[in-house]
Amino acid sequence: MGRAGGVNRQARRVWALHLGVLVGLGVLQFLLPPYHQGVVTRILLFSTYAVGYNLLLGYTGLLSLGHALYFAAGLYGAGLPVYYLGLEAVEAFFVGLLGSMAVAALLGIPALRTTGLRFSIVTLLFGQTGYLLTLYFNRITWADQGLTLPLQVPPLLRYNLALLLFGGVLLGTLWLVRSPFGRVLMGLREHEERTQLLGYDPFLYRWTAHLLSGALSGAAGAAYALLFAYVGNAFASVLYSVYPVLWVLVGGAGTTLGPLVGVALVTYAVEAASGLLHAYLVVVGAALVLLIRAFPQGILGSLRDRRWRWLP
Amino acid sequence: MDDVNFRVEETEIRALIGPNGAGKTTLANLITGRLRPTSGRVYFEGKEITFLPPHRRVRMGIVCTLQIPSVLRGLSVFENVLLALQRTELRRPLDFLRPNEEALRVRVCEVLETVGLGDTRAQLAGALPYGHQRLLELAMALALRPRLLVLDEPTQGLSPEEIAHWVALIRRVAQTTTILLIEHNLPVVLELAHRITVMDRGRILFEGTPREVEEEPTVQRVYLGAGG
Repeated sequence: MGRAGGVNRQARRVWALHLGVLVGLGVLQFLLPPYHQGVVTRILLFSTYAVGYNLLLGYTGLLSLGHALYFAAGLYGAGLPVYYLGLEAVEAFFVGLLGSMAVAALLGIPALRTTGLRFSIVTLLFGQTGYLLTLYFNRITWADQGLTLPLQVPPLLRYNLALLLFGGVLLGTLWLVRSPFGRVLMGLREHEERTQLLGYDPFLYRWTAHLLSGALSGAAGAAYALLFAYVGNAFASVLYSVYPVLWVLVGGAGTTLGPLVGVALVTYAVEAASGLLHAYLVVVGAALVLLIRAFPQGILGSLRDRRWRWLP
Repeated sequence: MDDVNFRVEETEIRALIGPNGAGKTTLANLITGRLRPTSGRVYFEGKEITFLPPHRRVRMGIVCTLQIPSVLRGLSVFENVLLALQRTELRRPLDFLRPNEEALRVRVCEVLETVGLGDTRAQLAGALPYGHQRLLELAMALALRPRLLVLDEPTQGLSPEEIAHWVALIRRVAQTTTILLIEHNLPVVLELAHRITVMDRGRILFEGTPREVEEEPTVQRVYLGAGG
């Protein structure tokens, strides 16, 4: 029965680590000056987006290049009803969340008939279509100027709401990837035909993973619109489809805490570099290339590979 | 394949032999669902399954091992069998959400003991020696509680001891499962099979008991000619 004891110890260690990270983030807010509180709030929301993205990339093995569509669906789905219909913030959050889930459910049907490179191209096209739609309906979305919402959230409350969302998403994802459902996803990622020959329908599992991924990305977008009271179509652009790829690859695809590490690192790298020179993105890009060469599986991915095999 | 009429009885061990390119793997793939026929029908236990996708056939009890061992190399031996096992053990949606992990673990160990891989639980499947990978694939197949087990050249590349181990395993499994065995190894076939189907160039050449097949001149010609 040694193995059972070992597995339980490992499970306790994993959950303790994740709770510890969340508690640490909670304490952090009292140690930070106001400007950095805002930065970390954004990091928490983008980490929620990145965790959703990682579910599809790291655990299911599908590279979407149009995920900004779901972030923006949440953003606009929450922001527009507040602006035009005077909806309460909490209700608007769920409208944004359900809206992004509906889009993910619908688009998942054609998109998940493809895999690999074709999937990336299909999602790229869907993402770009979303961006162009925000411009097409400019009268409603005020896309080029951005929309400011009549909301005022005090910074500490904002920080803690973002932390609450991220914490829920992080723990939920941890549970999911260790569940029977998560095991099937990893089987499909390893060897699709073998997993299908074990009786699992690849399309059904991938569609569900895509739906959950879109839901988490949409939740992050909805929260962003409501907490920062701003809706702009930069978040629907291809830049915000590329960012999650970067965040997840740097932090470690297929690890639960990798997305947080990736978002934090990239955000602060951009912060540091932009203060120093104009061509800061070149510097950041070069730094990230070097980082990936040193850590091919992302920072946490490589750590897990070399030393801490129990990291989920 | 050309005008093949093929029928296997329940709890039979049927061997499918023939030179390379005879259509043995093609026939097996039509049964497991990896291939669709351009004409003709496939039936299993009275139901038509011609266009049913592979994962649905697995749930009906048609399970296979492939010619090239296809285990999940990046996962451990334990995780490989667990993935197969949860398919049959977790039936209701509630089981999926709150599985009895301890019961599953016990079952995984049982299955691994049956094929003789009990000690390798924690090892990475990709790091196993060739013979053990084949056994792992068999363990995964058994975990699915097959009604029809299709084995595509399971003893290829194995040592004589490993082959003897396989023969004993197949004999035991055959007590409760129908087996379709594709093999090049004639001694194994002659030892295990109740009936043998001989194929050549997409057609069925001959069907009969091991003795009848041994004595049939057309079979001897085909095998001597192809060196199988």
